[in-house]
Formats: sequence, C-alpha cells, structure tokens
Amino acid sequence: MIEALFQGLLQVLAWKPLLFMLIGIVLGFWVGLLPGLGGATTLALMLPFIYGMQPIEAFAFLLGMHSVVATTGDITSILFGVPGEATTAAIILDGHAMAKKGEAGRALGAALSSSLVGAMIGAFALAAAVPIVRPLVLSFGSPELFMLAIVGLAFIAALSAEGGRGMLRGFTAGGLGLLLSMVGQDPQAGVARYTFNTLYLWQGLDLVPVLVGLFAIPELVDLAVRGTSIAGELPVGKLTKGALEGVKDTFRHFWLTIRCSLIGTFIGIMPGLGGSVAQWLAYGHAAQSARTAEERKGFGNGDVRGVIGPGAACNSKEGGSLVPTVAFGVPGSTAMAILLGGFFLLGLVPGPDMLTTHLTVTFSMVWTIVLANVITVTACFLFLDRLARLTSVPAHRLIPVILVLVFIGSYTTNNQYADILVTLIFGAVGWLMVSAGWPRAPFVLGLVLGKIAENYLYISVARYEVAWLTRPVVVVLFALAVVVIVYPILRARRLARREANA
Amino acid sequence: MKRAVLSLLLVFWAAPLLAQDYAGKTVTIVVGYKTGGGYDKVARVLARHLPKYLTGKPNVIVQNMPGANSLIAADYIYNIAKPDGLTLGTFNRNLPIAQLTHVAGVKFDMRKFQWVGSAASESTVLAIRDDLPYRTFEDLKKVPADKPLIIGATGPGANTYDFPLLLKELLGIHLKIVSGYPSSGDIMLAVERKEADGRAGSFTSLTPFIDRKLVRPLVRSRASEPGIEKLPVDESFAPNARAKAIMALRSAPEVIGRPYVMPPGTPAAAVEAMRQAFARVIDDKDLKAEARKQKLDLNYVSGDEALKVINELLDQPKDVVDEFSKYIKFGE
Amino acid sequence: MPNRPAFLLGIGIMAVSAYAAIAALAWPLKTALFPLVISIPLFVLATIEVVSLWVSGARFSTTKDFQRPPAEVPGTVAALRSLAAAGWILGFFAAILLFGFLVAVPVFLLAYLRFQARESWLFSIVFTAVVWAVFWGLFDYALHLPFASGMLF
Repeated sequence: MIEALFQGLLQVLAWKPLLFMLIGIVLGFWVGLLPGLGGATTLALMLPFIYGMQPIEAFAFLLGMHSVVATTGDITSILFGVPGEATTAAIILDGHAMAKKGEAGRALGAALSSSLVGAMIGAFALAAAVPIVRPLVLSFGSPELFMLAIVGLAFIAALSAEGGRGMLRGFTAGGLGLLLSMVGQDPQAGVARYTFNTLYLWQGLDLVPVLVGLFAIPELVDLAVRGTSIAGELPVGKLTKGALEGVKDTFRHFWLTIRCSLIGTFIGIMPGLGGSVAQWLAYGHAAQSARTAEERKGFGNGDVRGVIGPGAACNSKEGGSLVPTVAFGVPGSTAMAILLGGFFLLGLVPGPDMLTTHLTVTFSMVWTIVLANVITVTACFLFLDRLARLTSVPAHRLIPVILVLVFIGSYTTNNQYADILVTLIFGAVGWLMVSAGWPRAPFVLGLVLGKIAENYLYISVARYEVAWLTRPVVVVLFALAVVVIVYPILRARRLARREANA
Repeated sequence: MKRAVLSLLLVFWAAPLLAQDYAGKTVTIVVGYKTGGGYDKVARVLARHLPKYLTGKPNVIVQNMPGANSLIAADYIYNIAKPDGLTLGTFNRNLPIAQLTHVAGVKFDMRKFQWVGSAASESTVLAIRDDLPYRTFEDLKKVPADKPLIIGATGPGANTYDFPLLLKELLGIHLKIVSGYPSSGDIMLAVERKEADGRAGSFTSLTPFIDRKLVRPLVRSRASEPGIEKLPVDESFAPNARAKAIMALRSAPEVIGRPYVMPPGTPAAAVEAMRQAFARVIDDKDLKAEARKQKLDLNYVSGDEALKVINELLDQPKDVVDEFSKYIKFGE
Repeated sequence: MPNRPAFLLGIGIMAVSAYAAIAALAWPLKTALFPLVISIPLFVLATIEVVSLWVSGARFSTTKDFQRPPAEVPGTVAALRSLAAAGWILGFFAAILLFGFLVAVPVFLLAYLRFQARESWLFSIVFTAVVWAVFWGLFDYALHLPFASGMLF
C-alpha cells in the first residue's frame, strides 16, 4: 500500500497530468467564484474532453477542477455575501461580517488556509480509509443515518441565541425550514404535498435559489442602504494586511480546524446526507466552542472561527465524498455521479477493485486533491490583495453586477424563471429575519435535513420495526443529539448563575 | 415516359433530404433532467455524433430543463418550442402513462408529437443480493410470507417501486417494499449492508453491480436487452388477462426507453431528416464505442414504431386504466 | 411595535403552519405524519413569539446571525433606500420576464448605473458593455445555457 501511495504521487507529478490539473484548476477557480456556474454542470460539460486521456490525467483534470470550486466559492461568500456555491453559504455569516468590518483580508486568509487544511484531511481520509472504509460505511444503515440527521437538527439549538427567546426563535426558524422541506411528492404514497398544483414545486424547493435569496438579497439591500462600500469607511490599507493574520488564526485554533475537517470528512463519507449539511454543522460546532457568553455573541458579527469551521468542512467533505464513490460506486453528490461517469469512460469499475487492483489510481486522486488545493491556495494568496480591495469599491457600482450574478445564479439551477421568484420571496423572508434578529442558520438546517430525516425514519421502521432503536450506534448518536441540545441551555444557566452571584 | 416517372419519384424521395440543410444552424436537444443523469448522458452522446449525419454539419447542443419529472420539458416542447426543425426533446419515458392517468400538469398529447424515435430500450429487472439462496424466479415463489424479501425503492412512480409492487400485488411474491431511499445508489449500499435484499431498476443502471456480482437479476420486463434475453418475463407469470394487461401497460414505455420527439407541426421534411440521422448515428462506430464506455446500450426504435406503442398504450380500456391507477402513480 | 419584522414573521409563520396542518389532515397517515408533527408545534412556537411581542414589547436578543451595524444611516433615509433597492430588484425581474435575460441585463445595468448610481454616461456605457460582454461570452456562447426569451422579445 505504501508503494501505491508513492506510485500515485509520482504519476501525478508527470508533466501531462500536472498540465491538465492546472487547466482544471483555472476552470474550477472561475466556476466556484461565479454564482450561476455550478460545479456539477461544468463537470458534466467537461466529460467529453477526457476521452483520449489516461485515467490519471483525466482525474487530474476533473478533480483539479472540482477540488477548487469549494475554495473559491468561499471568496464570493466572504466578499459579497453571495453564496458562490450552495455549499459555501455558512461562511457568509461571519466571513462577510468580517468583510464589512474591513477585515476582508483576514477572513480570506482564514478561509483559504482552513480550506487547505480541510482538503488535506479529506484527502488523507480517502487514503487512510482504504482498509476501513467498507466496514465503516456498511455499519451506518438507515437508522444510523436517521439519528445522524437528528443530531444535525439538534444543532439548531447550538445555532440559536442564548436564552429562552433566542431558543424560541431558533426553533421557530428551524421548524419553518423543516416544514418547507416537506414540499414535493412524498416517497411513501406519492402524494403531492404543498405544491399548490404547480409543476415547479413537484420535486420540492431547490436549495440554491433559496440560499441565494436568503443571504444575498438582504445583503444587497443593506449595501444599498448604507451607500458606502462593503468595508464601510475604512481606509484601504487596513484591508489587506489581514491575510497573514487569517492564516495565523487557522493555526491558533488548530484543533477546531481539525475537528471541523473531520466533521466535513465524515459527512462526505456518509452518502445520503447531502453535502450542504457539513458547513452548517461545522459552523454550529465552532459556535459551541466559544467559552463565554460574550464570545458567543460575537458569532455572526465576524468571529474568525465562524469562517474557519465551514471553510475546513467544505473542502474536507469533497475528499470524503470520494470515498463512497470510489469504494462502492455510489456517488455522494451530483458532482460525484458525474465523476462516476468519468470512471466508466475510462474503463474503471468503482468498487472493491479500486481499493486493491487500482489502488494507484485511487492514490493519484488523493494526491491530485492535495496538490490542486495547495496550488489554488497559493495562487489565491497572491491575488488576495486585489480581491480584498473589491470591498472598497463603491456600493453602487457593485450592486448591479452582484444582482445580475444573483439572478443568473438562481436561474441557471433549473433554467426556470420560477427559481428567480423563489429567490425574491426568500430574499424578502431573509431580509425580515435579519431585521428581526432571527437566525437563518437553523432555517437552512431544517430545510436541508427535514426530508432526509423523514425518509430514513420510514425506512428504518419499515425494515426493522422497533428493533432499530436499540442499535448501539443509534443510541450513541441519540445521546450526542441530547448533549448538543442541552449543552447550550445548561451553559447559559450556569453563566447566569455566575453573574447573579458576582 | 418511365424514366420521367422514375426521376420524378426520385426527386420526391430525395427532396426532403435535400431540402433540409442545417449549415450554420444550431440544433437543440432539450432534456427534461439535470446534467449527469441517464437521459442527459444519452442526449450528450447523440449530440456529439449527430452533426455527421445532418446536412451542413450543424452545431448540436444540449439544454437541460429539469423539473416535475420532465413534465415541464414536455410541456415546453409541445406548447412553446418552435416547430422549425431545430428543436428536439427527450423526457421521461413514463410520460405517456402520466397522460393516460390524467396527471395534473400534462399539457400535451403524446400522439401529436412528431416522433423521431427512441435511442434505447430500457428494460427493468429485479435483482437480489447474490448471497441469498434464491437463484431463479421460481425460487422467489418460495419466499415465506413472514420473512419477505426486502426491496429498497426510491418512491412511487419510479421503476424501483412500481416493478416489484406489481410482482407483489399481482403475482403474489412475498416482497416488502421499503421506500424513501434518496437515490438508487443508496439502495445498492443498503443491499451491501444487508439492510435491503435487492432492488428493481433499469438494467443499465444495475449492470455495474451485476458485473461486480453484488446482485443477480431474476426477472425482467418485456423489453429485452443483450445480457438478459434469457430471463423470464414478469408478464408470462400473470394469473389472468387483466394482470397481464396491467404489467404490459407498465412496461410498454420501456421499449421507447429514450424517447426523442419534435414539436407538433414540425414540417415533415425536417422530421424525416432527423429520423434518418438518428437511425444512422446509432449505428455509428464511434458512437457505439463511446456508448459502450459509458455503459449505455443504445438501439434505435423508429418513430413509427414508437407512435404505434404510444397509440396502443393510450387506447387501453378504461377498466384496465382504473385498475392500473390503483397501483401505479406517476412519479419519477 | 418595537420589533415589527419579528411580529410580521411570527404572524406569517402562524398562518403558514396553520395552513400546513389543515392541508395535511386530508392525507394518508404516513404522508401526513411529519408535516403534522412539525406544523403543530411550529404554530405553537410562532404564537408564543407573537403573543410575547404583543404583550411585553420586548427587545430583540442577539443571535448568531450577522448583526446590522449600528445605524449609521437615519431611519427614514434607510427606509427610503430600502424601498428603492427593492424597486430596482423587482424592476430587474420584471424586465427579465418581459424582455429576456439578454436584453434585460444591459438595460438594467445601464439604467442603474446612470440613474441610481449617478455615474457618468461614459462610465455607465463602458461598464455595461464590459459586463454584458463577459456575461454573454461566458454563459451564452461558451456554455449554451438556455436563456429563454421574454414575453415581448
């Protein structure tokens, strides 16, 4: 196995694969940056180009492109508050807030470096997973996945503000998200739920238009109201020195970065949960790591940990989601499904073979991810200054361009005008939520996890009746969910008592 | 005199082909699904090789119009797309059933589309885990009622759900259908975990897992594909004519597994040119090689034949349709 | 009403969850279970929020979302600008519906830059041209994304 590890590296370092990787990186850079260019769609468009290539070259190209998307998506989220990809929305909360305080450079530095660490860990997981991945994935059945969704939903508590009123609002927002996830045709009886007889809602609400509306529109209106640049009135010089600071932050909070990377990797490995959850769980976890009430209030205001967490998780998730694709032939996301097509094109059969006979190819993929991320992050650092300066461009020049990108981003999901309408509606909802001081993160969690939880519950009951409740992993996860919910409540109470006694 | 008649006939026969010149134009294939899915893959493979067979070598592009299981795309092709010979559509093969069962949102009449043909037949098979003791369809009848085989499914309307449902309800095989898996890939994982015992699905999608010896196909539906010709057909076990009609109705669209149509009103010359191009491109050496690599099994079914199947399907008597609707809802 | 947005949200969610629960009653058990389990407590939560706002006129607490920076802009000005922003956004949407993306984008850009941003004609035109060229080049020419024409064009 060690030999395959080195072989894989050597093969990637040949000039042809490297060249293709670079081309892929350049493409992926723009795809991630621009809302409206979906990573998955572009991957599909690139498939025909890999015909004549050797597997290692082809994967260098495809993976080079794909690995980069999550990283550059963070850039758009931080600078403009517009989710560059569906998976980079969580980073807006603190990342963009930092940009508004003039700390865009620092936020970008933290995002990029944590992305790099996350990517490494995700890639490492793919490598290390080789012996253990099959038993690991196989031990997580539908009951465990249901509990995992419950743990995810429990994070709603972590993402709500302290105190009774905060919890109330957090759970209300979460509940609304859960309810909206029910829209569409139900997989038990085929009844069309809450579709109001429209075809558009048949398959449920699409995540991207909702996210784009929820986050980008309030931001744009805010920008229009303030009338200045994103960074406010701060002098230009202050913006750019932060990048190094951001990198230091990642290492200052090294264990947090590692933990969030592990969360992302784990979510990536578990197919059926959907990748967009990872960033929110990481964010919730980062928020929980704040030690005092003061610190927790800082989240949402520009705490760098709110950038590090999602940044690491998003990239590690990519490496993680390669695991079920490679080891089982089961893609963890649309992008992976397309990569799978790439496998077939090259004559490879994903499955146990990839972990034995074709181990070298698997390892070459690992190295591709590592190298692609290193190259991207390095390149980004070189441009960081210029990128951060965008936050000092006067708002009224940026707003129309961002708005165009927002509309395109939402439209190109399904090529439906209805998507733009959804963006506008949720833009209004998002604006109300921000004005009212309601948290949006629980809403997104509910929206993303609701249907998944429902499906797995029904499968678990249909398959195991009641026996699944006593499965060991299920019990452990349930305990975890309880801890996640109760911990913030207990801590708030403890702090209140401490203050009362002081 | 004879020569004059002959040359006149020749001109009339060749005219459609000569009349249709695509030079400098763009042909669009509208796909009712997102990128990466089966329908999209087939469309893209065709798009790459079609220009060779259309006079003037036009640009052929694919546009995705997902939504409502491709009802939106079908409605678009029927009502909005211009019948200028430059637009094709491909959508869910089960849409004729949606029309038959009066699903809300159907704004088309399958019979009035200009049928180019089908690029593949997509047969459904039921495959169960290889290590189970049931090795043939006959064995399945021995499955005890108190320990049914667990078949994972995505939801009503998908063949993962409908095919085993009919086996269970009409043939009395003891299956338990557990529905709600996010994708067929997740069902395969469940099979590996022994959470599920098998799944039904299109043969094409199951091939990698059959090759890997994870599952074994036991029974198929009426359309045959290379590799499963010898499998028993579900209809042949039907206990009565009504049951057989219902199973046949479910399988009927599978012969037109990848339907391609043009908007109603497209001039006959254009349709004919496209039909011929299709027939020839599917025989194309390069396309075949590419399709094989992508594990796509393409075979041409002519537009006329497709229309025949459609008409037969839509002419089913009301009582069969009513009974059918009790089991099968339109979904995926 | 000290926190009118919260009040509006609360009422809105009460209405949505009430509708959801009532609609779900018509469905078979399995289909209705989750929607009911979610919508009924949701209704309760929203009602508590609305009632407590009404009764105590409470301030809003801090959350983990980004705070609106302390008002650098006085209330009425902020309201007017928000309204203007909303107007532009909706107007752009209407333009897309009527004229299609390819026309609406440059028209919107030009209009906004010139009339809202008060940039010079030269700047507006050049900027619009560049952005539109990039947009068209990338999305239409290179990727063939279908931008349906609007209702008029």
